Amino acid sequence: MKLLLLEDDEATRTHLERALGEAGFVVDVCANGRDAIFLGSSSEHAVLILDRMVPGVDGLAVLKALRAAGIRAPALFLTAMDGVHDRVEGLNAGADDYLIKPFATIEFIARVHALARRQPENSIVTTLIVADLELDLLKRSVRRGGRPIQLQAQEFKLLEYLMRHAGEIVTRSMLLENVWHFHFEPQTNIIESHMSRLRAKVDRGFDQDLIRTIRGSGYRIDAPA
Amino acid sequence: MPLLNGFRSGAFRFAFLLAAMFAVGAALLLLVVERSISQYATLATDGGLQSEAAILQGEDREGGRASLLRAIALHRRAGGEEAYRYQLTDRTGHMLVDDFGTRSTGLGWGHVTLRDDPQEPGAHLETLKTLGVALPNGGTLVVATDTYDIEELRASLDRFTIAAGLTITLFALIGGYLIGGLFMRRLDRVNDAIARVMAGDVAERLPPIGISREFDTLSTNLNAMLDRIGALMDGLRQVTTDIAHDLRTPLTRVRQQLEVTLGAGSAARYDAGIENAITQTDEILGIFRALLRIGTLEGGDGRQYFEMLDLSDLLGQVVAAHQPVAEDEGKILVAELAADLWVEGDRDLLAQMMTNLIDNAIRHTPAGSRILSTIASVDGNVVVRIGDDGPGIPAEERANVLTRFYRLDRSRNLPGSGLGMSMAAAIATLHHASMELLDNAPGLLVRLTFPASATRPSTDKIGNR
Repeated sequence: MKLLLLEDDEATRTHLERALGEAGFVVDVCANGRDAIFLGSSSEHAVLILDRMVPGVDGLAVLKALRAAGIRAPALFLTAMDGVHDRVEGLNAGADDYLIKPFATIEFIARVHALARRQPENSIVTTLIVADLELDLLKRSVRRGGRPIQLQAQEFKLLEYLMRHAGEIVTRSMLLENVWHFHFEPQTNIIESHMSRLRAKVDRGFDQDLIRTIRGSGYRIDAPA
Repeated sequence: MPLLNGFRSGAFRFAFLLAAMFAVGAALLLLVVERSISQYATLATDGGLQSEAAILQGEDREGGRASLLRAIALHRRAGGEEAYRYQLTDRTGHMLVDDFGTRSTGLGWGHVTLRDDPQEPGAHLETLKTLGVALPNGGTLVVATDTYDIEELRASLDRFTIAAGLTITLFALIGGYLIGGLFMRRLDRVNDAIARVMAGDVAERLPPIGISREFDTLSTNLNAMLDRIGALMDGLRQVTTDIAHDLRTPLTRVRQQLEVTLGAGSAARYDAGIENAITQTDEILGIFRALLRIGTLEGGDGRQYFEMLDLSDLLGQVVAAHQPVAEDEGKILVAELAADLWVEGDRDLLAQMMTNLIDNAIRHTPAGSRILSTIASVDGNVVVRIGDDGPGIPAEERANVLTRFYRLDRSRNLPGSGLGMSMAAAIATLHHASMELLDNAPGLLVRLTFPASATRPSTDKIGNR
């Protein structure tokens, strides 16, 4: 799967390129906006990773140009600015996600994965299945091994997000942003508290745990090997 | 150049402009008055000449040439100084009466110029208006009158207008100069004060300008602006000091951690040491981020992107997100929400503000505490209350809690940056909401009041992402 990476700082670029390579991606790298527009419009990319601030044509302008040229690939903004207007401008330009510098590499990779595997908007999924766990989006019901599981609204959203990204690492901040729409780091363990309740319902009393904690980064739901 | 001060001033220029306008006005007035007076005088003169000529024509017709001559003599005597003058020519061109001493001026209207007194050399030239008529018994009669009075009137009117115009203009200029000088002196004092402020004396304030109320309002406003700038500079200085103090401690800890790790000797210890250092670095970055965010919020950034959002709904979500956390900590978090209360704002920031307040309540209360979040409409304002029944904050400490990095002594050992409350306060200010810390008897009550101007009841869910 090929990605486009625009980053002007050489050390960061090299580091991200290697990390993406280790994660199994092929990367087109560029250091300025002009090259990014050229590369982005001349071949297909699964995800556009754009540094918001590069000299000359900046990431925002690059994304606008590519969107205008009909490039629909999901875009991830890397930015050192997290003011309200930076966020709104980024989303208005057509960004799908943004990551504020500095960030943990594992967080970066997790988000790229999430964007790369994102289902096309026109594909209609009504049931998510991981091993014997089944989540019905229409009936808003969950069953495991045929046995119904009662979930509260937030637990359901949490499980839905995990299952939509089954097999991938989902970080705490991804959960905060996508399940609760919190774009900040609370001082309390919101995720842990909700997750322990969800696990108690989904995994307790079954032979194998489906939800796993990935130390230092987040969670993953997976069919046991 | 103190002498030129008055001339440089706007007041002088204004007075000069007024004087010039007055002068033009006076000249126009003079023109109009002169025209109407001379028109009136000309009409009167012409009427007199016409009736005199008609009377004498009548004498000639009724009584013949002798009667005419008698009438002329009579009229001349009766008129005295202002008498008409006559020139009578018979059919053959022989001049019977001649007061002008010049050739005949003929029939119709005309003018003739002659010496005032033909006998006296060097006398004034005099212009007469003449009317010539044909007589019934043949010949021509010319009646004339001088226009000296009209000229005299005109001249004195001119003199008066010019004198008055000049005097008033002069007074205006002197007044303008004096007032201008006064303004300049007052403003020089203000400018001196401004120069002192710019030179670094931030405590300096501008003296009242005086003269009139609007000028004092100006200097009061300028002083308010200086106060605001001073407060911003204090804030900046505070941030700098905060960073120096409060980041130095964790940075020192990271450095020590890395030093210890450097000599650790085993891979497992390296990993543990580096992981620890990364965690601490993340904390430092979090503090940085919060400080920068507070800084941009205090600068007013983001208001242009505000939209209407359902604050009841948002508070409900924030409370729901925190309920399991509170439960895990042995505390009860409850909400009493009046539905459908809308404010203009940024969803993320408002969620962060309410999260910070609820986080605080959860972290700074003992197990078993009850935390109540409410939202209600009070007199058109949207009021959010987050109260607990914990130990609270002593009244004298409440203002301090809002300053950056401030922590109560008893919470120093708890995790937290000491920035949550100041961030919440900055977000509230950005939304024109007031944030008050009150006594919940027992416990702390934080009350946020969104003024009616920032709220609007709405039923459609605009801005509800």
